[in-house]
Amino acid sequence: MSLTQIMSGANLDHYAQVSLVLFLFAFVLICWRVFSPRFKATYDRAARMPLDDDNPQTPRRGGE
Amino acid sequence: MTGPESVPARGVAAAATRLESFSYDDAIVRKFLFATILWGVVGMLVGVIIAIQMAYPASNVAPYLTFGRLRPLHTNAVIFAFAGNAIFTGVYYSTQRLLKTRMYSDVLSSLHFWGWQLIIVAAAITLPLGLTQTKEYAELEWPIDILIAVVWVIFAINFVGSLIKRRERHMYVALWFYLASIITVAVLHIFNNLVIPAGPFTSYSIYAGVQDAFMQWWYGHNAVAFFLTTPFLGMMYYFMPKAAEGPVFSYKLSILHFWTLVFMYIWAGPHHLHYTALPEWASTLGMLFSIMLWAPSWGGMINGLLTLRGAWHKVVDDPVLKFMVLALTGYGMATFEGPMLSIKSVNALSHYTDWTIAHVHSGALTWNGFFTFAMIYWLAPRLFQTDMYSKKLMNTHFWIATVGVVLYILSIYSAGVTQGLMWRAFDETGRLQYPDFVETVARLVPMYWVRVVGGTLYLAGAVLFAYNIVKTWAKRPAAYTVPVIQAPALSKTFVPEPLRPGVDVPATAWGRFVNMTFHRAWERMPVTFSVLTLVAVVVASLIEIIPTFLIKSNVPTIASVHPYTPLELAGRDIYIREGCVNCHSQMVRPLRFETERYGEYSKPGESVYDHPFLWGSRRIGPDLAREGGLKSNLWHLRHFENPREVNAKSLMPAYTHIITNDIDFASIQKRVDVMAMLGVPYGDAVGKAPDMARAQANAIADDLVQTGGAKGFATKEVVALIAYIQRLGKDIQGGPQSATAKGGYSRSPATPNARQIASPIPAVPSTIAPSGGGRP
Repeated sequence: MSLTQIMSGANLDHYAQVSLVLFLFAFVLICWRVFSPRFKATYDRAARMPLDDDNPQTPRRGGE
Repeated sequence: MTGPESVPARGVAAAATRLESFSYDDAIVRKFLFATILWGVVGMLVGVIIAIQMAYPASNVAPYLTFGRLRPLHTNAVIFAFAGNAIFTGVYYSTQRLLKTRMYSDVLSSLHFWGWQLIIVAAAITLPLGLTQTKEYAELEWPIDILIAVVWVIFAINFVGSLIKRRERHMYVALWFYLASIITVAVLHIFNNLVIPAGPFTSYSIYAGVQDAFMQWWYGHNAVAFFLTTPFLGMMYYFMPKAAEGPVFSYKLSILHFWTLVFMYIWAGPHHLHYTALPEWASTLGMLFSIMLWAPSWGGMINGLLTLRGAWHKVVDDPVLKFMVLALTGYGMATFEGPMLSIKSVNALSHYTDWTIAHVHSGALTWNGFFTFAMIYWLAPRLFQTDMYSKKLMNTHFWIATVGVVLYILSIYSAGVTQGLMWRAFDETGRLQYPDFVETVARLVPMYWVRVVGGTLYLAGAVLFAYNIVKTWAKRPAAYTVPVIQAPALSKTFVPEPLRPGVDVPATAWGRFVNMTFHRAWERMPVTFSVLTLVAVVVASLIEIIPTFLIKSNVPTIASVHPYTPLELAGRDIYIREGCVNCHSQMVRPLRFETERYGEYSKPGESVYDHPFLWGSRRIGPDLAREGGLKSNLWHLRHFENPREVNAKSLMPAYTHIITNDIDFASIQKRVDVMAMLGVPYGDAVGKAPDMARAQANAIADDLVQTGGAKGFATKEVVALIAYIQRLGKDIQGGPQSATAKGGYSRSPATPNARQIASPIPAVPSTIAPSGGGRP
């Protein structure tokens, strides 16, 4: 049985739906993460990263 | 404009932490900056030259300087040399600063720079020589392709190595755009350039026909996406806040912009193949993803422009911001128009016309060009540690270039719409209003002259830009100061940062989840992330492309379609060498105005032996898919000698060198053998190809003499090219094959004549299975 026959026989129609659901799930997760208010401070700090070439912006504590 | 920051710079105030000292490598940024300027001027100059050649055909200088050979040189120079070096300039400058580290290796940086310039020089030599793989933006032959892959991997190692030794925990969004671009470009380049060499600078694509077309436009569109868009967006997210002296309007939006773009872009390629022999499901999928791209593109544009909130007064005063605002506006226009052109009904009008050229240039001249100018104007005083030579020249450049862009795109939009409408115009009796193709080209010549003016203005602006930068460089200090930066290394053990000061991350699993501890963990694994991204990109691409390769119903075979004879194959290689595909398509769409003009629409099964495919994307000359047998051999000979003697309004260059050059019979066997290796059923032709070619060439030469031509063409290249052109479209016409075709392999019985041009609705031959995408 050649690869062509296997591919033709496999019902690839489902793949589109499966990937749609996976992509949508990933998108929702990203949106939740991005718009969740608990990360506002983190993003505000990250947004300022290009403005200072000399000092790391990520806060450190302990051994960091 | 001020010089660099004070020396020595302060480190982070953390008494308990050991600080590491380092400096940024700006020497490599300066090198890339000069390369950008040099290749920019060269690439734009070639653009102006080919613009003149289209308005004034006598300015083609055969064989090396014809439109067909220079057009790929222009596109490669502006995309890979100008925009490419601009990307490296911006990436090397911003990456080091965003990561608080020097690049991973100075040696790799240097190899990257010189390797890339070597590639450009090789391209500038081989393309005018006619050494080409013919696929758009992937014309460079296989030895150069290998060099590109090697240099790109060097760049990737250097970039990812820098990510690993970074001193900043969070990777700023610009870096995500860079990483996605580096990975995707590598994948695109390798898969689209899989060829079997037939000589040191000759090769055949391993894909044929529909599959090759699909692969090419998956590559071609994503070259626009991941070479001209995402790296520039990354640079926009760094340099726009720099120039506006404030953070980006919404960092959240920039993250959404990134994820939505990288999810969607890779699917959009098939919109370059609407109404072609590509299966319809693929073309619809491409259209839908292209339309969805509207949202992230405009989100990104608005995000960039709103970064200037509260700083618009600076735009009046600062030429850097002027260039950036126009660049973003151009990005907005081009990304509005792109989805629109991907809608099938719009594409039916725009495809094969200058509208596409106008679309590309409105995006490239503003978004890529203006952004590069802005970035370099911003960088120059900092890299050369002095003030700009002349702010006045910067403003002059801005206005000259803006007027140039307006002239260019207005004239070429008009040309595209004019030609598209002329092609589809029917008179009241239901016949084509402009049946003579050349009428639809001659009408465009005045607009082509306006383009020459617009392009020249843009080039003049670029020359002013180069002058201004060189003069600034001349004012540089005797020795550059290299600031020493101090920062602690990232610790190996990661302590999650508190979301709010003083509130620790809860120790429960749910607490860790909602605080996205896992995300911080991912961020610490750039190499793993890159590999997984690579897998995701490849899998997503293969889901779209593999079905056309492996599902039989997508490419119905046609029994009467046979491989090219050895002489026709040699002729096809001349067609490729001269870049004929840059002006002539070979793909009749199933639209009435096309089938009326050219005949039966093209089927996927017709190009199964086309390694590479030659469907084309632009018709400056007529489609040639059904050209075989329409004109005599002698007509073609005279036409190559001087097109305007046969057709007074033609824009085609004269190809006298084809008439005087001898056919390289010795190399034909190798070409046939490689084709046979790719699965083309050559049968008997393997082993006696040169003899078969000579026999067919003699037959055509005899015919030329009988019809009143001169003697002695039997060994000339023109005979091979005529053999190829006379073969086009003959396979599905059935009946006796072209009298000159003397193939040594078996042919199936005659098939019904598919080309009843006189009949209003062309009949589909019964031997052709229903096609996946074609419609009558």
